[in-house]
Amino acid sequence: MPRAPGSSRPHARGSPGPPPNPRGGRRRCCPYCCSASSGRRKRDQEPVLAQYTAVISPQDPTLLIGSSLQATCSVHGDTPGATAEGLYWTLNGRRLPPELSRMLNASTLALALANLNGSRQQSGDNLVCHARDGSILAGSCLYVGLPPEKPFNISCWSKNMKDLTCRWTPGAHGETFLHTNYSLKYKLRWYGQDNTCEEYHTVGPHSCHIPKDLALFTPYEIWVEATNRLGSARSDVLTLDILDVVTTDPPPDVHVSRVGGLEDQLSVRWVSPPALKDFLFQAKYQIRYRVEDSVDWKVVDDVSNQTSCRLAGLKPGTVYFVQVRCNPFGIYGSKKAGIWSEWSHPTAASTPRSERPGPGGGACEPRGSEPSSGPVRRELKQFLGWLKKHAYCSNLSFRLYDQWRAWMQKSHKTRNQHRTRGSCPRAEGARREVLPDKL
Amino acid sequence: MSCQLAILCLLTLLLPPLSRGAPMSPAERITQAYNLALSMQENMSTLLQTYLQAQGSPFSDPGFSAPELQLSSLPPADISFKTWNALDDGERLSRVQGAFLALTQHLQLVGDDQRDLNPDNPILLAQLRDARLRAQGMLGNVAAIMTALGLPNPRAEDTLGLVPFGASAFERKCRGYIVIREYGHWTDRAVRDLALFKAKYPS
Repeated sequence: MPRAPGSSRPHARGSPGPPPNPRGGRRRCCPYCCSASSGRRKRDQEPVLAQYTAVISPQDPTLLIGSSLQATCSVHGDTPGATAEGLYWTLNGRRLPPELSRMLNASTLALALANLNGSRQQSGDNLVCHARDGSILAGSCLYVGLPPEKPFNISCWSKNMKDLTCRWTPGAHGETFLHTNYSLKYKLRWYGQDNTCEEYHTVGPHSCHIPKDLALFTPYEIWVEATNRLGSARSDVLTLDILDVVTTDPPPDVHVSRVGGLEDQLSVRWVSPPALKDFLFQAKYQIRYRVEDSVDWKVVDDVSNQTSCRLAGLKPGTVYFVQVRCNPFGIYGSKKAGIWSEWSHPTAASTPRSERPGPGGGACEPRGSEPSSGPVRRELKQFLGWLKKHAYCSNLSFRLYDQWRAWMQKSHKTRNQHRTRGSCPRAEGARREVLPDKL
Repeated sequence: MSCQLAILCLLTLLLPPLSRGAPMSPAERITQAYNLALSMQENMSTLLQTYLQAQGSPFSDPGFSAPELQLSSLPPADISFKTWNALDDGERLSRVQGAFLALTQHLQLVGDDQRDLNPDNPILLAQLRDARLRAQGMLGNVAAIMTALGLPNPRAEDTLGLVPFGASAFERKCRGYIVIREYGHWTDRAVRDLALFKAKYPS
């Protein structure tokens, strides 16, 4: 590396003749507790000894994986001692086998590398020419990789018709070993020039956000260009109308509350997202809920244009987490669905505790046992009420009571199955169990 | 969040306080500069490690050191004890001043180089920017001490001279290493110089 007066090019100091460090090898010291000098310099004076420098050719080559490279390290010397004798190569810190190098002449050392691997770091592989004592004489950064592959799978969405965010997948293998620049481009299909998206990495490494100046009711063409030192690639063009990819904010003000004393129901209420209130659209909603310590969500689908829903078939005395999301379906009269919003922040509520013992619980009565062995007051009340309505004979019998209990359990089961699929009864009034006329 | 707090803390040390009524005494200015130098010392090894890691081996090898690499545009921090001891106040401070001026300009250059070489390493770029800001802070603090002691304040000069635009990637990697290394040496030197001033001008 040549040294110019007052320049900020790094230069190396070495010594001709005997190595500066009698111990041999490179002197290692902590980076900033020893002085920077090699110990040969008289304090505050210009160095007395002459130095020699070297240069590697080629500088910063870019190569395809698997290709070969011929390089040379040429020594410039002020003194007759400057020779290529004793010099050696390292690549990424590893000394290269001596059979790969040979001296072309007294001041030039050559190197032949074959079948290069992809670069270890983006800043380039370090090929270094060392003096006999290990000090760095010259270096060159190798950039070995692959040209980019075609990016694909572009998907875009617009928040409230105000902006456009797009995501894509980089080419099939992704790893090019070189820094690859991705550029999202867009233009109006029938008019105008190419525009380039400027805000990258908004929702992940391969994404871009266009914040403004987007036209509605007209198609855009969108594509991604990938470029690196070895070449470029362009994705297929995606054509879309902003209105077809609209999403919105999750519904605000989601409230979950109990339905009176009903132990298996909760009522969910929300507000339709305000950002789209001025635009004619029918919102669709989805509700999902789960028990506090479960990871399985149950989804209620097809909630159209309502802002409340009653969840039923829930377990008593349990904490539930509930979320709601919105789809701006049919915006501006379009027949298409939009894109679902994010789920609202989870809201929690608990169902009232059950007063009757649960199925399979320790306090359950076995079949055919005396009812006096433990029915709860409420259950008896329900039974008597039923009896009053439906019994043909006034003879109370325990058999009849057992039959009724069996029927209750059976109808509970079917009720839960139906509810699990998810349905949102439109009726606002309290739902009562309708008991059959006959047993 | 803690990063923003750290930068705020840093800024209070970097800027000599604007007139809060009575001007700061020399002792107060010296203490402030000394504290800044100590905080710079604490961050040194992190900066160097982050930088070396990003350049790849051999730079990233444990214990990497290449004292043979030098930049003639940076003044050396090492000095014989006898000479150092004999420096007068003005000379002592102006050497620190000159060094940190050169370091500020070189750190800008290194930041630009690394933006090119390591564009996907925002941590490194942020640390280089912070180091440059700290060096500028040191300049401000030293100038404040010189003013407080009634010493002449030399004008800022362009220390980089002609920047060779054709520097290769490897040369730029070496350059960054040398600058950060010398930044560390000059921080250690500043701590010693300012400790001397603290003793000489007690509050």
